[in-house]
Amino acid sequence: MSNIKCTHCQLEFDESVMITEENNPDVYFCCNGCQGVYHLLKDDGLDSFYEKIGNSKIAPPLQVESDSSSFDMESFKQRYIKTTTDGFSSVDLVIEGIHCAACIWLNEKVLANTEGIVDASINFTNNKAKIVWDEDTIALSKVIDTIRSIGYNAYPYDRTAEDIKATKNKKDYFMRMAIAVFASMNIMMIDVAKYAGFFSGMKDETLHLVHIAEFIFSTPVLFYSGWIFFKGAYYGLKNRIVNMDLLVSSGATLTYIYSLYVLFGGKGHSYFDSVAMIITFVLVGKYLEVIGKKNAVDTMDKIRSQVPHEATIVEEGVKKVVPLDAVKVGDIIEVKRGEKATVDGVLIGSSATFDESSLSGESLPVEKKEGATIYSGTINSGKVIRYTATKNYANSTLSNIVNLLEDALASKPEIEDTTNELSKYFSITILFLALATFGAWYWIGGDFEEALIVAISVIVIACPCALALATPIASLIGISWAAEKGLLFKEAKFIETFSKVDTVVLDKTGTITEGKLDVKNVTGEISSEILPQLYALSDSSTHPVSLAIKKYLEKNFESIETIELSNIEQVEGKGLKANYDSKIIAGGNSRLIDELEIDFEFDTVYTVYHFAMDGRVVLSFELDDGLKEGVKELIDYLSTIDVNIIMATGDNEKVANRVANSIGLKDYKSELSPIDKANYIKSLKENGKRVVMVGDGINDALALSYADVAIAMGSGADVALAISDVVILNNSLKAIEDSFMISRRTFKFIKQNLAISLIYNVITIPIAMAGYVIPLVAALSMSLSSLLVVGNSMRIKIKDKN
Amino acid sequence: MNSVLILELTVGIIVSFTLLGIFIWAAKGGQFDDSKKMMDGLLFDSEEDLQAAYEKEQKVKAMKEKKEQNKKEEV
Repeated sequence: MSNIKCTHCQLEFDESVMITEENNPDVYFCCNGCQGVYHLLKDDGLDSFYEKIGNSKIAPPLQVESDSSSFDMESFKQRYIKTTTDGFSSVDLVIEGIHCAACIWLNEKVLANTEGIVDASINFTNNKAKIVWDEDTIALSKVIDTIRSIGYNAYPYDRTAEDIKATKNKKDYFMRMAIAVFASMNIMMIDVAKYAGFFSGMKDETLHLVHIAEFIFSTPVLFYSGWIFFKGAYYGLKNRIVNMDLLVSSGATLTYIYSLYVLFGGKGHSYFDSVAMIITFVLVGKYLEVIGKKNAVDTMDKIRSQVPHEATIVEEGVKKVVPLDAVKVGDIIEVKRGEKATVDGVLIGSSATFDESSLSGESLPVEKKEGATIYSGTINSGKVIRYTATKNYANSTLSNIVNLLEDALASKPEIEDTTNELSKYFSITILFLALATFGAWYWIGGDFEEALIVAISVIVIACPCALALATPIASLIGISWAAEKGLLFKEAKFIETFSKVDTVVLDKTGTITEGKLDVKNVTGEISSEILPQLYALSDSSTHPVSLAIKKYLEKNFESIETIELSNIEQVEGKGLKANYDSKIIAGGNSRLIDELEIDFEFDTVYTVYHFAMDGRVVLSFELDDGLKEGVKELIDYLSTIDVNIIMATGDNEKVANRVANSIGLKDYKSELSPIDKANYIKSLKENGKRVVMVGDGINDALALSYADVAIAMGSGADVALAISDVVILNNSLKAIEDSFMISRRTFKFIKQNLAISLIYNVITIPIAMAGYVIPLVAALSMSLSSLLVVGNSMRIKIKDKN
Repeated sequence: MNSVLILELTVGIIVSFTLLGIFIWAAKGGQFDDSKKMMDGLLFDSEEDLQAAYEKEQKVKAMKEKKEQNKKEEV
């Protein structure tokens, strides 16, 4: 059968599994969620969503089970809700499930159409939303339910001073940069006329007019856009540091003053264009840095928003909702299905099932018995349970992970930026040389004006344009090349770090293996008598093991007879029991076989599924998580370029050993918790290794944040993607090979560019100091050096074409 | 010749600074705060969207007036 697109989420599935509608033959849905949202939008006249979505694919609607009434609690109000000047209420939220601009449109539209909502604006870049509503008309819980009804979810976040500052800073830099770019573009146009005039002849008065126009455009660039460089130079000098800001500001100011002198009657040429160019180029680089900082703040807000904000405690039989900080050791906490455990504790009562994927990465729910440890942040996927808190929130696992992430993001070591390091010494040297030149010329010739012109030529010719361009231009070409191959480098600096990496740590589930179970081996014969019963039993559960068995049967047997089972009973964490024709049949793991008191021994390193009939095991399936395509090729490639490869997994030694052997990997670490993984990365770094970590789950987020470069596979958890430095969009391991090749090649060109600009300066500065270069030639040759650097960078992609 | 050039330059500079002023006004109003949304602006620009924006403005105005009235009544 052919694949067909889901009418709502646009994901493709086999036609046989799609939900269809009798009276609407053109629509196909992959799940009930998609069908529900489709009809909701259609009924509300919002079906133009499907035109806006274009070719974008979205995830099927999130099915949120937790109750939204906690959004109306007093403690929530005190912490997150603010009152506007008009008397309305306002809350900051992070919206989960946003994939494209159409998702934003839909959320804003649905909220705007909801009675009582004054304003709802969602930021597409960071998925943060600000909702303003009238408390008298609608409760916040209803607003949240509205968002959930269309398949998204919302978490509150506390807008920190850090976030407000980062947003303000970004806006400020954006304005300064935009004005600088605008003025520079105008100056460039005027420059075409000016430089053409040098060859075809231009009257002095005309040239004067051109200079006036350039003066008008360059003045705001120097004093408004360039203000941050003056500030940086001032604080640098105050702390006795000569920085790049000082060179940029002094170079630009001196050139500006000299040009003013020419404009108002002095002899020579004015260089207002150089003033604008210097400031603009360096400012663009600075703006990119500011964006990086803002992204780090947004990531942290996303992580904080995932933390539950209150817990239900039971005191003398009375339930009470309290803020997280108020939970004490010894309190009895109740967790409903779908809710997160708030603090660490031990289970009271018979049994519970918890989804611990946020900690261990394992997608299968974990069964817990009385007295078992419940970890904060894990989700109750079974019935309502109660447990006793053994730690308060501040000492619990979830809080530890959040704090560690916060530290890691704040102190993520900036790589030693070769260019900045170089330009620090370069700046001092050039300023000193210019001063010495001025002194020597004035002392020898006695002509102040000539001495000034020569000194300015030295500064202009040495203006670190080529030096400033060497890294960004090459990085830009490297990054765009990587993007073509489905690799997203979040910041340019990771190209350099990546090129120096000597160790790769790979997570197992989802990175080396597919994360999906497949039948590897069957012990026993699947006879025509057993087949329909086995199929019917595996079809009665959505557990990954049952699904894998069902898939195996469908693939290997044609036309399986459909039969009805009775008394189907789920044995939590073990398997299923049912009746057929007065026989008892059962399918599940070894614990189910023990529970049925069947004497049966089976030794395997794989996940196992036994099928029993009438007190006898008739079939045993061994299931394995298949290897991802290209794993072996990746390991071969990394070995040839002398990069160490280590597999780190939360799985047990047996499984880790088997997977490592199957791909020819010698080095692996097993049974690592998220904190162990992070510590392991830390210890590698302390031993002088440069580490890339590749992972996909929330459990990898902490280890990812500690690595020099973090890579998240595209289908991974939101948090892992937010924290990573490089995102692999197509989920293919070949992309890791590509990132090594691209980053190493780009960095080689960055070094070449730096060498070009240094050689250029070594040759031209002495000529300028000797007075053989007039400022005009100095400015032209400075442009030439920039062109050389840009031209050289263009060669980066040539290898690919070959 | 120069008088023509002066006129051209003056007009050019005035026009470009006016455009810059409009840009600054838009940027200060938050139009460029969300870089991704800005790039997809075309999707939100149909006649229907404009109508919706107008209706939303009316709705907010009415809500504010109602709130104001409630406040007065309470006093």
